[in-house]
Amino acid sequence: MKAISFAGALTLASVALAGDAGAPPQLPLGLSPKLYQLTVPKPPTADEALLGEKLFNDQRLSVDDSVSCSTCHDPFKAFADGKPRAVGIKNQVGQRNSPTVLNALFQATQFWDGRAATLEDQAKLPILNPIEMGMSSPEAVVAKVRGIPEYRNDFQKVYGREATYDDIASAIAAFERKQMSGNSRFDRFLAGDSKALNAAEKRGWALFNGKGRCNSCHAGNAVSPLFSDQKFHNIGIAAHKQDFTQLATEALRVVRAGDEEQIDRLALETKFSELGRFLVTRNENDIGGFKTPTLRNVGVTGPYMHDGSLATLWDVMDHYNKGGIPNPFLDGGMQRLGLTEPEIDELVAFLFALTSDDFKALEKKELARQSARKSNRPERDTAVAMGRKGNMGDLAPNPDVKNPADLGLYGPVGNPEK
Amino acid sequence: MRKGVKSIETKHYEERDSFFDGLRRLDRRSFMRLAGLSAGIAAARGLVTPQSFQLISVAEAATPSAKPRFSFAYISDSHLYKKELNDRFVRSLLRSVDDINRLDPQPDFVLYGGDLAQLGQKEELNLGREILKGLKAPVRMMVGEHDWFLDMGEHWRNLFGEPQYSFDHKGVHFVTLMSVNEKDFWTERNMTPMERMQTVAGLDNGVQSRFEVGPAGRDWLKRDLEKVDKNTPLVVFSHSPLYKYYKPWNFWTEDADEVQALLRPFKSVTVIHGHTHQLLSNQLGNIQFHGMLSTAWPWPYAPEGLPSLTVPMNRTDPFSNFDGCGNGRMDVTQAGLVDKLYNLWDRNPVTVKASYLASGGKQDRPPASKLPPY
Amino acid sequence: MHVRKTLGIAALGLGLLLGSLATWQTAFAQEPAPKPQHHVPPSSDGDVVVAMCDGETTLEVEGVKDPSTITREKAQAISDELMLAWRKKNPDARWDAPPRRLVAQANPPQPAAPAANVQAGHTYGAFSERDEAIWKESTEQAVREGHRVFHDAKSLGGTVAISCDMCHPDASNTHPETYPKYQVQLGRVALLRDMINWCIENPVRGKPLADDDPRMKAMEAYIYAQRKGVKLEYGKH
Repeated sequence: MKAISFAGALTLASVALAGDAGAPPQLPLGLSPKLYQLTVPKPPTADEALLGEKLFNDQRLSVDDSVSCSTCHDPFKAFADGKPRAVGIKNQVGQRNSPTVLNALFQATQFWDGRAATLEDQAKLPILNPIEMGMSSPEAVVAKVRGIPEYRNDFQKVYGREATYDDIASAIAAFERKQMSGNSRFDRFLAGDSKALNAAEKRGWALFNGKGRCNSCHAGNAVSPLFSDQKFHNIGIAAHKQDFTQLATEALRVVRAGDEEQIDRLALETKFSELGRFLVTRNENDIGGFKTPTLRNVGVTGPYMHDGSLATLWDVMDHYNKGGIPNPFLDGGMQRLGLTEPEIDELVAFLFALTSDDFKALEKKELARQSARKSNRPERDTAVAMGRKGNMGDLAPNPDVKNPADLGLYGPVGNPEK
Repeated sequence: MRKGVKSIETKHYEERDSFFDGLRRLDRRSFMRLAGLSAGIAAARGLVTPQSFQLISVAEAATPSAKPRFSFAYISDSHLYKKELNDRFVRSLLRSVDDINRLDPQPDFVLYGGDLAQLGQKEELNLGREILKGLKAPVRMMVGEHDWFLDMGEHWRNLFGEPQYSFDHKGVHFVTLMSVNEKDFWTERNMTPMERMQTVAGLDNGVQSRFEVGPAGRDWLKRDLEKVDKNTPLVVFSHSPLYKYYKPWNFWTEDADEVQALLRPFKSVTVIHGHTHQLLSNQLGNIQFHGMLSTAWPWPYAPEGLPSLTVPMNRTDPFSNFDGCGNGRMDVTQAGLVDKLYNLWDRNPVTVKASYLASGGKQDRPPASKLPPY
Repeated sequence: MHVRKTLGIAALGLGLLLGSLATWQTAFAQEPAPKPQHHVPPSSDGDVVVAMCDGETTLEVEGVKDPSTITREKAQAISDELMLAWRKKNPDARWDAPPRRLVAQANPPQPAAPAANVQAGHTYGAFSERDEAIWKESTEQAVREGHRVFHDAKSLGGTVAISCDMCHPDASNTHPETYPKYQVQLGRVALLRDMINWCIENPVRGKPLADDDPRMKAMEAYIYAQRKGVKLEYGKH
């Protein structure tokens, strides 16, 4: 039984890296030091993170003092907001779902279409967006923040100068870099405690890596615990609502809209938002593509998808089970899965097992809420999922559902308890 | 609209609205004209502010002189089995048909590049024909070895007529060759028709003979080309590559030299071939060669013999049913050569221009691949 | 390339004469004597003619014009030819061939001694050519079986009539020398047989084979056999 020893080893590893105030902090169980090392150039200092926290929660950063970062990224809601799409000043509704800040520091790019390369770049944009926080320009933000007495000392202390827009973003990013989340039942399972997951969750994990075909884009293992490949895929969500093909054909003649802010507005304000990554790269291949989100804490950060159109994880399963929504740009990896209802339940159980222990109460609540809707399934299309109808077929005869954790190579290779 | 100073947001919204409105109503040429104008004005005023929505140039800046004479599309190598056995290949072919039907403007015609069936069976060929009927544009068929060697082309002839034919279109002379003949290897081995077909279907068994156009085919070609003026652009459709790429896999035409000799006297010659299921480009003398993608599955590049002008496509991902496959379009240029657009599914399209081949790889080089096959 | 020998004795005589002349002359230090000449016949094609230091052997290198640049390998080949010619002429010379490869070896290459002096008595280590032939045939049998399974959709258990060779003719693009590596399709580190099984499940649409399934082992044998001589490079993407 290697549970304690591995966890111990991990702690030791992170302690070994630790040093002074700016040193890498203790990583929660399940998050790998290598990933931290690759994504965090310089660990944030306590002072900067504290200032960032203040700014993060400060509604005065919006034009009418009503919206702060934490409005849509609520710490008590796992840093999301439980709404399908973000709601900003004057109750305006945007086009995209608010992703969680938890583990956002590990992401290769920020936003659903990856238009911000770093946390700092990301922090700058919602503040200026007319729908979200509505400030008119960086200068306006800076002027407002400089006018707040309690920040004067803070900025002097941390940066040695008056507030600038870059510093504001830097402080917020520093705070976000501390929002790591691991320590879920799955992490303990991977560390060697075979009782951490119950039988259904274990079968879910096996399905995740087998029949469910989840692990190609949502790979999760000891070194890359994000459950996301950080790439952009069109899984057909955009094709839900409007005449997506028509939109895409128009888009193929679309011009480059200029700089980040313009793309930001396009992304949030118009129906062209559904083109996703294409707005950023202008690659034909990226039409309707959105970033693979992390699955950590997915149980408590619904509703799901870039537009929040899927209310529960069961809806998400239905969407994949039928192979997504056919459209000309659908990712070639999408195909019908043929999952039965019990298998879907097991997969959902596994996904809930990715919730951090810090959110136990929230998890219970969400599970209850989502389970209550289990009989209401707008996305389900069993005929297509089973291959009786439609053209999304391609499914192996039921493979033996061996638990991949028993095969090792996901986490440290230890002796599984039989 | 109120007079006087507009707020940045209002100005932005107005510009953006008119921009998108305009976008909807424009056809491509007017759009580009507008784009050019707008960019010019913006540049003159030194306006590169984040708040203004200006039209800058489109992804492919096509200059007027490069406008093609006409375009035709292709679908190739679909290798259909009967639907109950394998529906994946059927799906791919249907996707191709949808892709081409969605093209705007529609191509002048669609070339089918060969290997419609996998084992040459009647039901496979019939299925293929049914699916291709869904194409809006007219179809020109070419035969591949998988269509032929079960019944030596009997059913193919019933459905599609003679495998070798030529036609003229908008000043270009098109020839479709039957280039997958093989010398008899089956009689001495007492093979049944299905055994013969299975042998031909296997790429690496080395039992089958190498492809050839054959003396009869070459004769026919000679007589056909006699009537064509040497300055007329010539486009040759062939299933096998018409040059010698890799013998063990029959990426090879045994009498390629003789056939090329017949084509050489022409000023602009392009050979479009199938069979290789990969992005393939070559130039030998004055003859340019373009390979077509398959809809069914991709081949890796051969261990040797790859033409140096080919910029290989990225190694394929088997997680996707469609990766490395696709269809495409060919633009016949004013000069009578062909720019080939590879519409790779799940990837960005790649264009291999005639100018790239003609310059020996120095200009208009297609993007490099990051993941080579090995 | 061909070697042309000038008239041996005449040249030798001439050489000796001139040599002695030179010595006598230098001994008397009167006027510089003509140095011994190696008569190098020019090539009729304008090819390079290489003269050897023995004063008599020359070699006309066909196809290589004079002057031109040649590769190292070509230069080595020319040199080898000349040496061979010389050694034929001087079979009794005690000439030690330089080692071809200066690689640290546990066992330096043995001189061409008769095969008699091999350790005997060791059951495993003393195998004969006959043994090797038999073992080789067993291996080849496994490889052939692998070839068969590789090319046969039914044997693989596939349900869509797709066999491995359709995407991997001659087992190309299977790159077994790169395993173990992180396999994106599996979302984890994999070995060759994991990927084989994945392919059987997905493109081939069959049930994955058990680890000890003889078909799996045969296919691995076949795949590795096709990559003989390729450098191992685990983790390569």
